[in-house]
Amino acid sequence: MEPISPVTVLYNAPHQIPFQLPISQYFYFTGLSAGSFVISVIAVLGGKVEYKPLGKIGAILAPLCLILAPMNLLVDMTQPARFWHLMTYLPGYVNWKSPITYGVILLSTYPISATIYAYFVYAGNQKYAKIFAILGIPLAISVHGYTGFILALGKGRALWNTALMPTLFIVSAMVSGIALMIIMAILRNVFFMKDATEEEREKDATLIHGLGGFLGAAIITDLFLIFNAVLVILTSSKEAFEAAHLLLWGKFALEFVGIEIVLGGLIPLFIVFYPKTKSSFKWLSFASVLTMVGIFAMRFTVVVGGQSVPLH
Amino acid sequence: MSNDVEEPAGGEKKRRVRYGMLVDLRRCVGCQSCSVACKSENEVPLGKFRTWVKVVEKGRYPDVSRHFLPSFCNNCEKPICNRNCPVKATYVRDDGIVMVNMHRCIGCMYCMASCPYDVRYINPLRKIVQKCHWCAHRLDAGLLPACVETCLGRALIFGDINDPNSEISQLLATNPVVTLKPELGTQPHVFYIGADADTMDPTRGVDIDHVHFHEPY
Repeated sequence: MEPISPVTVLYNAPHQIPFQLPISQYFYFTGLSAGSFVISVIAVLGGKVEYKPLGKIGAILAPLCLILAPMNLLVDMTQPARFWHLMTYLPGYVNWKSPITYGVILLSTYPISATIYAYFVYAGNQKYAKIFAILGIPLAISVHGYTGFILALGKGRALWNTALMPTLFIVSAMVSGIALMIIMAILRNVFFMKDATEEEREKDATLIHGLGGFLGAAIITDLFLIFNAVLVILTSSKEAFEAAHLLLWGKFALEFVGIEIVLGGLIPLFIVFYPKTKSSFKWLSFASVLTMVGIFAMRFTVVVGGQSVPLH
Repeated sequence: MSNDVEEPAGGEKKRRVRYGMLVDLRRCVGCQSCSVACKSENEVPLGKFRTWVKVVEKGRYPDVSRHFLPSFCNNCEKPICNRNCPVKATYVRDDGIVMVNMHRCIGCMYCMASCPYDVRYINPLRKIVQKCHWCAHRLDAGLLPACVETCLGRALIFGDINDPNSEISQLLATNPVVTLKPELGTQPHVFYIGADADTMDPTRGVDIDHVHFHEPY
């Protein structure tokens, strides 16, 4: 793409990239939390006895990941001691239009609700577990959906400023959450079911293979959304095209095409659907690990790659 | 105009002061005096800039030219940084200047991530976000911004765009002017006369894979 006349920038002063690795990690952990919570709720509401272990695993993972997530935000802030400025909730002190304010409310309520839910799941109180499951679903979805809004409302960045962002984030949260659940469920089956009967282990294995199918469906949805996003930014504004260039064959090609699409998308997809590999725990856990790495690469490329297009 | 406000006492209409900056690039020589004056006036730390002049060369010998783009905070009429700041550290003055309250800023850097013009930076000493505010402290004292005061070619014209008798309003009314990224709807209030499209395009003339962003301290 040789320009008609060469243009060279002799001097410019780009400032630092504001959102770095801690923000990517934050998105990753909220995603894991939301994803495992939703799977846990599906298991609890499903009502069958053999689903129960899944409900328990998810119920403990969701609050755990959500305790890790905001730590990254505190590390990233330059004035961490002023975090309470976000929580005064007084008119004139908190901006209700900012997606971060939605996030503060969600990050305060969702862990509480998820912890109460986990308590009732472990206490075996089906009725209250179901109530808090239903209450928690919108919170879990929005705790990750709002992070999509954080990026989508950053209208200076062409890669972020799309209505697809919240949906893409929720779907990728499902992908990583299911992958984490599969790993935990396999660990449980292999190491913590020594004294269970053959029949119980068989049932548990079928359940894990069912999760593998879920994982495949979620990956397909995720890849479809990424395909949509890429196709549109390739033909949108100049900055959007440059962002697509960075992701597809530029600086972030290894992370985006190599790790996110191929390693974290296509290979796990093949493993969970290919008859010879889909019933093997080894292959399934390999696919889950790849998926989790791939989703982390997705967070990183979206956050840092989106800011790597110069603005001035 | 929609910006008019009613004067409570006198009964006669008083216009709202709305400051604007006009950069007459026909007179800019790219001396970077504005950058230096701003650094001195506002104690801008090393490696950070509130004002800087982007310099671009284009063409093949003998058909060549050099273009400048003095850059300031656009103090937008609809600033996305103000909408996104969660703690109201960023606020807009009545005269349209977008300010950062240094005591409220938590340094979440969301304003930096959402600003389409890359004018905000983290002050590594004060650990908060800062930006060009057209030297609001000088304006309040009846002075012009430091960059305007120092500009040797009088390329920077600053004033009240709501006052029809101000120099900036007259120049805005009689010249073709452009702003940066008008398509984003932020309504920037730094206007340029004679700006070059290649210079205003952030993605022209740079190797997009090797942009040297400033490293965080």
